[in-house]
Amino acid sequence: MLTDALFRLRALFRRSAVERELDEELRFHVQHAIEKQVAAGVPREEAARRARLEFGGVEQVKEDCRDARGVAALESVLQDLRYGLRTMRRTPVFSVTAVLTMALSTAGLATVFTLGDTLLFRSMPVEQPEQIVTVSSTRGGPTPEGLVSHPDYLAFRAGTRTLSELAAYYPTAPLFVTANGYAHELNGAVVSANFFPLLRVRPALGRFFRGDEDQVPDRDRVAILSEHLWRTWFAASPDAVGSPVKINGTPFTVIGVAPATFVGVGASPIELYIPTMTLRTGYRWCDDSLAPTCTVLTMVGRLAPGRTADEAAAELTALMPQAWINAPKGENSGIAVAHPRGVTSDPSQIQMLRVLAGVAVVLLLVCCANLAGLLTAQGAARRHEFAIRLSLGAGRARVTRQFMTESLMLALAGGAGGILLSRGFVAIIAALFYAVDGEGHPRYFDFSLTPAIAGAALVASLAAGCLFSAWPAFRSALGSGRRMAGRTSTARWSSGRWLLGAQAAIAVGLVAVAALLATSASLAVNGSSFESSHVALMRLRPRLLKYPAERAQLFQREVMRRLAALPGVESVSMVGIGAVLGGGNTVVGFPNWTPDQRLRAGYNEIGPRYFETLRMPVLSGREFDDRDGLRSPRVAIVNETLARRLWPNSSPIGATIVARNVVQQVVGVVADARIGSRTEPVQPFVYAPFWQNPQQVDSRLAIRVAGDPAGTLPALIREVGRVDPDVPIAETIILPLQLAEWARPVRLTATFVVYAAGLAVLLTAIGLYGTLAFAVARRTQEIGIRMALGAARARVLALIIGDGMTVVVAGAIAGVALAAGGSRFVAHLLYGSASADWLFYLAGAVSVVVVGFAASVMPARRAAAVEPLVALRHD
Amino acid sequence: MSESTRIELPQGTLDLLILKVIALEPQHGWAISERIHQISGDVLKVQQGSLYPALHRLERRGWIKASWDVSDNNRRAKYYELTRAGRIALGEQAAAWRSLTAAVGLLLDTP
Repeated sequence: MLTDALFRLRALFRRSAVERELDEELRFHVQHAIEKQVAAGVPREEAARRARLEFGGVEQVKEDCRDARGVAALESVLQDLRYGLRTMRRTPVFSVTAVLTMALSTAGLATVFTLGDTLLFRSMPVEQPEQIVTVSSTRGGPTPEGLVSHPDYLAFRAGTRTLSELAAYYPTAPLFVTANGYAHELNGAVVSANFFPLLRVRPALGRFFRGDEDQVPDRDRVAILSEHLWRTWFAASPDAVGSPVKINGTPFTVIGVAPATFVGVGASPIELYIPTMTLRTGYRWCDDSLAPTCTVLTMVGRLAPGRTADEAAAELTALMPQAWINAPKGENSGIAVAHPRGVTSDPSQIQMLRVLAGVAVVLLLVCCANLAGLLTAQGAARRHEFAIRLSLGAGRARVTRQFMTESLMLALAGGAGGILLSRGFVAIIAALFYAVDGEGHPRYFDFSLTPAIAGAALVASLAAGCLFSAWPAFRSALGSGRRMAGRTSTARWSSGRWLLGAQAAIAVGLVAVAALLATSASLAVNGSSFESSHVALMRLRPRLLKYPAERAQLFQREVMRRLAALPGVESVSMVGIGAVLGGGNTVVGFPNWTPDQRLRAGYNEIGPRYFETLRMPVLSGREFDDRDGLRSPRVAIVNETLARRLWPNSSPIGATIVARNVVQQVVGVVADARIGSRTEPVQPFVYAPFWQNPQQVDSRLAIRVAGDPAGTLPALIREVGRVDPDVPIAETIILPLQLAEWARPVRLTATFVVYAAGLAVLLTAIGLYGTLAFAVARRTQEIGIRMALGAARARVLALIIGDGMTVVVAGAIAGVALAAGGSRFVAHLLYGSASADWLFYLAGAVSVVVVGFAASVMPARRAAAVEPLVALRHD
Repeated sequence: MSESTRIELPQGTLDLLILKVIALEPQHGWAISERIHQISGDVLKVQQGSLYPALHRLERRGWIKASWDVSDNNRRAKYYELTRAGRIALGEQAAAWRSLTAAVGLLLDTP
């Protein structure tokens, strides 16, 4: 076994030495045979002849010996590779074009692989990630969506044997932090003391929480900074440890800094960590955050050696508190243990990645068709070479294999180039789409390249290589054995034309869908029933300071008054629930309806001039204004969808409805706020006045300014600070950016499809140009004859252009059908009405036809410039 | 002896004969060929074109090993000698051959 391998290795790497030895050995033998004959009296030349006859063909013997060495297969592959390299150097233009085409197409696929891996599959960047599991409660279904209370967590931690460690955390605590002269709302986390040791993270400075610091509620007010916060707010100074910070109004002390490589356990980077005993500071919605009724924590655990997640799930289910066993629907009733994979399980992200993957595969197919066409044309030129090789005894399989090796080398080189390009693409995508979230907080994603991604991309490029080389290789090896002459017939509808037509069709489909997506992306951000430009947003949170409702409302009124008085501000309004243009839910109906009859509808409490600020048209009636206060009759505004449902034949103005158990009179009807895509049905909506709810404390403001909203934000923030400097201001962002974050799937897909469409059109144009140019070169004689027989140059021009255009137009017609199908595929990403879609299909077809025309003109002009006499002498 | 009375050597047995010939002492290719020729009384003719591929195959299998030395007429030659594994293989193959020929002989002798 070993000797075998050593022998073969020597035969492979010391090839010349082995060949020399073989030659010497055989020569020795023949020499002796000659001597033997001479000794028997035969003349030397006769002896030499006989000896050689007896021995057989020396070359044949050498060949047999080489076969016996056992490396013949490998040697011939190496030979193919060397030959392939030589051929590539001989035709540099073709090789560079092919590699570039492959690279640009594979880059798309490699980019999708990277995004998918990071978002959906990558394990956590901690030591031994396979031991880490997330432990969450389930509420009536198998999907974990529940949170647990602190006493629940303690019970699980005490009772578990399958998990060696169990920590709890609350990861998106909005902490309003003041330190070192800076004041801002930060994304914080409330974690148990064993959180960092469980993840085996070491502090960059100072230390992490000790066990005894997480025992008594609110006693140990210690905090840990993220490396980013330490750098930006504390200038990376070692004095940061021990310095005071104020978190949501409570003083804390910094005891350590987390390392730069650790940004938390989700996609939103955590800037500040505080212990679970100070949960009251971080979480405001429970009166006692450490009570059994306050469910706010997620758990993460480390499996004990040899244990699996299923065993842990079984054990923890047995440890569930008594109250969970017969819990009503919507309450914690089960436990799920899972290995964390990726950073999101958002179905819209998954769907977006599927669409991107589909587009990338289509692009790769166009690339294959393009290269197959180019190779077929090139194969025709190499017919001589193949014919000679076949006649010299090379097997058909061998010649085909050598041809495919060349193509696979090109494909691999293109794949490697594509991986490099994809790093650039991923960087651009990360900066444009994944840098901040909808509230202005920075996000962090690790989009680095893993060996798995690179391997997958190379495998894909190899598969593409096999695909685009299979047909031309087959054809070359088949046909050329018989025909050595250079003359070939000009088949009208050869396979090359089908390939071109297919490329044109796909290009049309991609262009149309790209245009649709780009328009939808713009609609999503700028709004079709409202105007988002020039609107700044901010969130006021007196609740964090525990302001009672009257004090908070006084504060709000003053803020509104002063902001509206600022120069450059056109109007100010607010919402009390959820985000601007969003809201909560309610059931609405007539007063005499039973609760079952009531309709589900969206609901929000808005300030006066809300629709004016967002430029949403009021269709009838009026907006809320200052007369709608606590002492006035309760009023409501409905949107047109609700109006149509409840009052199909009459005007809603003056009618009475009930929403959130308040009887209200309808005073206005507004247009629907279309913020969803075509597949999301428009929600019926009812609006009530903010000032008629005396319990409202927090609000989100929308401020329309005359100039640039981002530039005006600092002045707005300062003005609010003048009213009350303690109230935390958060989520200061402009409305278009927030909408852009919501519309990320359509924006990212639009960018990707535009790239794919551009590349597809370019490839089609190049393919068409190449095919026509080659055809003109081959048909020079025919053209010469035509001209000599009296055809005008214009006729020749028309002939060639007509050739090209037939293919393109046929492809474009097929492409319109593809566009219609493609738009159905991405319908969930399209905004606005579908009635104008046919325009986009038409535009796609027309643009590709125009490009095809431009690509046909150049070879046609060359054909028309042919001199008949020269052409007739052309071979 | 004329050409037509020489019997062609079947493929597999060539390996066996080579192993036997060099069991005594290392030989080069020419000497092996001559020896087989001599000892069989001119009956067995080795196709020269199959001798050397067979030698390389045996070398690859590890049953013989090669070394360069100076031959009796002062020229460099490649000498082959049996390895331990080759000696064992020789014994096995010879035993197999004998039982095969005995069995075939029995069959041929019965009417």
